[in-house]
Formats: sequence, C-alpha cells, structure tokens
Amino acid sequence: MDYRLKIDEEVIALQAEKKKDGSMVLSHAGRTFEIEYTMVSEYHQHLTIDGRPLNVFIAGDGNSKMVVIRGTPYYIADADAVENRSRGKKRDQVMPQEVTPPMPAVVVRILVSEGDEVKKGDSVIVVSSMKMESTLVAPADGRVKKINVAEGDKVMPGQILIDIDRDAAALPRE
Amino acid sequence: MMYSDMAYSVCDQLIPGRISAIFRKVLVANRGEIARRVMYTCHEMGIATVAVYSEADRKAIHVLKADQAVFLGGSDPSESYLNIDKVISAARQTGAEAIHPGYGFLAENPLFAERCESEGIVFIGPPSKVIRELGDKTVARRTVMGSGVPVIPGMNKPESDTRVLAGDAEKIGYPVLIKAAAGGGGKGMRVVTSPKDFQEACASATSEAKRAFGDGSIYLEKYLSRPRHVEFQIIADSRGNVIHLFERECSIQRRHQKIIEETPSTIMTPELRERMGKAAVTVAKASGYVNAGTVEFLVDQQGNFYFLEVNTRLQVEHPVTEMITSLDIVRIQLEVADGNPLPITQKDVRSRGHSIECRIYAEDPEKGFYPSPGRIICMEEPSGPGIRNDCGIYSGFQVPVEYDPILSKLIVYAEDRGQAIKRMIQALENYVILGVKTPVPFLIDVLKSEAFAKGDTYTDFIDTYFCGWKPDRREADAACAAFIIDELTRTVKPKPAVGMESTELSPWQTLGAWGR
Repeated sequence: MDYRLKIDEEVIALQAEKKKDGSMVLSHAGRTFEIEYTMVSEYHQHLTIDGRPLNVFIAGDGNSKMVVIRGTPYYIADADAVENRSRGKKRDQVMPQEVTPPMPAVVVRILVSEGDEVKKGDSVIVVSSMKMESTLVAPADGRVKKINVAEGDKVMPGQILIDIDRDAAALPRE
Repeated sequence: MMYSDMAYSVCDQLIPGRISAIFRKVLVANRGEIARRVMYTCHEMGIATVAVYSEADRKAIHVLKADQAVFLGGSDPSESYLNIDKVISAARQTGAEAIHPGYGFLAENPLFAERCESEGIVFIGPPSKVIRELGDKTVARRTVMGSGVPVIPGMNKPESDTRVLAGDAEKIGYPVLIKAAAGGGGKGMRVVTSPKDFQEACASATSEAKRAFGDGSIYLEKYLSRPRHVEFQIIADSRGNVIHLFERECSIQRRHQKIIEETPSTIMTPELRERMGKAAVTVAKASGYVNAGTVEFLVDQQGNFYFLEVNTRLQVEHPVTEMITSLDIVRIQLEVADGNPLPITQKDVRSRGHSIECRIYAEDPEKGFYPSPGRIICMEEPSGPGIRNDCGIYSGFQVPVEYDPILSKLIVYAEDRGQAIKRMIQALENYVILGVKTPVPFLIDVLKSEAFAKGDTYTDFIDTYFCGWKPDRREADAACAAFIIDELTRTVKPKPAVGMESTELSPWQTLGAWGR
C-alpha cells in the first residue's frame, strides 16, 4: 500500500506491505526495511527494524500524530488528508486572518475600542497562557467593529476575539 | 470522581500505624509537584496533610494524595492559591497547625507569613520580618554590606532623580545594570554600556518595573559580563544555629528562568566553597534567618564572588542538594518550624557525588519555548539507579493554563559529573510524555553538547550555543513505520487531538462553560 506522509515540512512517499500479523516490509527512497511489531498498548509499539529494537510512542487522531522515539518528537500527517482541507486554513498557518489565540488562554488586556481604526499588525489584545503573555495583532487594515470578549475571559483557538471590518483594499483573496 | 465544595475528611485523625510526630497536621499552600513532594515527607513523618485546590485542579495529583482537601475557588490564582483569607480559613476549618507554602504563590509574601503568625498557625519558613527585609533588594544589600560579605558594586537605595543616578553610574563604572527594586525575573532590567544611553534606559526600566510590580523604583549595579550563577542552600533554627548545605549552579537559563541545575558547581574549589559557604552563613545570621533559604551569588571570571540576593523559600532545585547530602530538607524545615534545634552541625554535613536536575515544562522548544497546554494522553516516567522524578502530572490530567507550566523535575545522582550526565541523558530518553510538548529533546542535546561537558555553563549558554535549535531527527523512517502500523492496527475511533495544530478541536472545547 502506498502512503504519502508529511513529516515536519517534507512530504515523503513510502510503500508498506503487511506480511502477516506483527510483520511488514517498508520501502522508502530505494531502501527496504523488515519490521516486526508488537502493540504493547494503544500508545506504545515495540518495533524491531532489520533486527534493531525500538520503543515508539504514538498519539493523535486519524490524520496527524505525534511519534516519540528516545525523547525526540516527530509530527507526522497523512499528506493527502492535509491537502484536502480548505485552502484558507493552510494560509492561516502563514498569517492569521482573524484575531484568535493560538492556544487556550485568558484575556489580559484589550487595547482597542469599538470604532477604532487599526492598521495591519497593530496590537489589539493581550492574552496570557501559562503565565506567558502574547499580543495578538490586527490581520489587516480596518476598523474595530465588535469586541467579543472581556478581560478575564477564557478563550480558545478558533474563537474570534475582535471583529475587524476590513478596508476594501485589504480583503483577502479567495 | 467529584469532590464536594467543602472540606472532606478521609480521616480526621492520625492514620493508624503512623508514628506520632511533631505537628499532627500540615496544610500545603501550593499545588503540583512541590505540594506532592512536601506531602511525601509529611506522610513519612506521620503528619496528616491538607491540600488546597482551585477549579482547574479538582483532579490534580496533590489533591488525590492528600489526607484532606479544601476547595478554594476559581482557577485564577487571586481566587485560590494567592488568596490569603481562603488559605487561612482552610487551615482553620481543618485544624492544620502549620502551613508549608512551597515556592511561588504566597511563599515569599510577608503579609501571609504575618497573618499566620497572628492566627497562631506556624508558617514553615522564616519570620515575616525577615521575608519583608530580604524581599527588598536594596535593604538586603545594605544588611549584607554591613556584615562584610562582598556585594556587587552599586547603589544601596532606589533613586528616581536621573541626575543622581547618572552620577552614581559614573562612580560605579560602565557597563552598569539597572534593576527594579521591587522584583526580579528580568523585568525592569537594562544593561547600559555607554552614558549617552543612560537616561532612556532608566525611563524604560522604570515603566516596565511599574507595570510588573506596581512600583517603578530602580537601582544600579555594576554589570558583570559572563558571570556564573552560584547559590548556597542554608538552613537555620530558631536558636541562632545556621549551616549551609553546599552550593548549586543554575547557569543554564532561558528568559531568566532556570532549566538545568547541578551540584557541585564546576568552578568550585574546596577553598572557594569554604569562603562562599561562610559568607552565606554570615548573611543568614546577619538577617536573623530561620528555616530554609538560599543565598545567591554571582562569580566573575576572576573567581571573585558577590552577593546577589536571598530567596526566602524552599527552592525548586532543592532536590540536587538532597541527593548529594542524603538529607531531606523539608524534614529539617518541619523540625525547625516546631522549635527544634538543627539535627546536624556543619561538620556533619558531607557531600558526595554529583547531581543534575532538569525542569520539565509544558513548552515547545522548537517554537521559542512557547507554552504547550493540553491533556496528558500517556506518560512513562524514567526510573533506575540514581533517578528521582518529582512529578505533578499523570496520564489523563488536563494541564491548566493558569499556572506556571512545570510538569515535573527530573533529578539524577551519580558518582561524578560525567556519569551524572550520561544518567540524565538516558533518563530523558526514557521519559515519555504524550499530549503536550516538552523540552526533553532540547535538554538531551544540551547535555550531549561539548560545552556542557566542559562545564561552560554561563547564563548566556542557550543564546550562545543553542540559538535556533531544532532536534536531530534521525529516526524518521521508524516514525513513519509507527504511523502506518498505528493506521493498520487501529480498531477504535480517532483519538482526541494531540494539540499540534492550534485550530483543531481540543477536549477543552467539549467540556462546556467553566464556572468562575
């Protein structure tokens, strides 16, 4: 079976052939590996790769997983599944399109008021996560339309904290 | 499993089988790994323990391990762990005779210590007066200067007139360091190398200090380049006996926060240790110190040491001292707090071997050590000869965002430094935590580095050797194999997200609104 996996920023192609229970052959970049595997638990695999033993720990949902080998994490995703997601989301990873926290946080300070004009990159709100403050910025030139949160609120990634009416010229291209 | 919102009692008396001890019951006014660690010693001594907890910590390990637990309130520290009235009330209602404050939170708050004193509750730490005096950096410097211990050339009192400050800077000699009088952690600090930058640096330091501590007072010190950060553990009883338990070196820091500590320090000679140890004891005596504390020094390139400050609490890194001395510092704290003399004299204190501690935070070392909250999906703690893990988490625990993200402290002990380094590398490689990101791979690379092996541990270590670090990913094939095997063998529905991509659903979003 063919796989295209995204490991960190690279996409690699592999072929995996299951021989029998607990045994498979993996091919990548012209190399072949004989792999014996034991599922110790839902999160723990014991592998023997060409005779070399390795304990591997793994967790994650269907499409992306975190694999830990001797303390080092690898972030692996199914490359085909990642590309099928909306293109807008991929762009998010380059530059946030909304005023939203990158991780669960608490609102510390709101730096603008409704009606304020803002420029792209202006600081608009400060949130704190595990005692570390981060400042979120306006994603485009525009005007603050609505502030959806108050100081002290717990906020989540994806939640839009401040609605900004973009100036016509600053609308993102679809 | 839900706890009611009032104090509940597993057993409101000493557990049968435990030997009778000094205090019958101690409340630990803290959380996570330190609360658990303090309780270990209490239980060994037959002392019943009371935990306090916030909304976010309803299922925290320190709550599960305590004999009694009292709910304080909302997750915000001001509603719980920092709330003096609530903590005192918890002690009252459970009959705790003493409170151990841990580190952080109320540990160095003189008002809290004072309140304990007035309520007849024993505060396991120094007297409130000592906390107050040593908490003011300029007062501390004056006290120490009076005792003859060298201090960094600088001013003794905060000053706001910039002309006076500029004159003092000339006297001290550039480069100078501007510091906030009311607090630390790097806030309100500026290094000034040239007189023309001085005014601006003062203005900006003052405003930063005011924002961080509510007090914009600043003072000046000579700036030492490439100093080593060496601290001495001291402990004193209420009868004037003071001893030191040797030093710790805490030079590997990031954002002014320590991440690796060790003892002995690689720059220590028996002669320097003797002189610095005596100086630490002198400082403690001069300030009327009682119970455990740490005297911090900076050591310059020529081997001169200068007093920096006193931390009037049990420190995060105290375990490395315990490993080389075979002493339980918390035990001594409890005995001293009950009015007993120190159980040992200076000549009884022996150091043997080498110990290293790594702090394991919920942080992403590939993204500037950004906090990485989440639920611990699975974990495996390292174990083996000479390994100790002071751990505040468990599989399934939701790591709160409201507090310092320390998950555990991994400590190793071995016969010498080389062996301790190998032991720590092994321990880190065997430490599995899934669900949040941790600096484990970064720590492994630091410990494997030649700079660390040489003992080149200055406070700028990370910036010098590990700027823009990324892990060495050699097992990519094996990782892919594991991914595929996981796909092939999966029979259950997709598991919750690890939290790698911030816009994916996390278990938090399914929990519903939080009460406050």
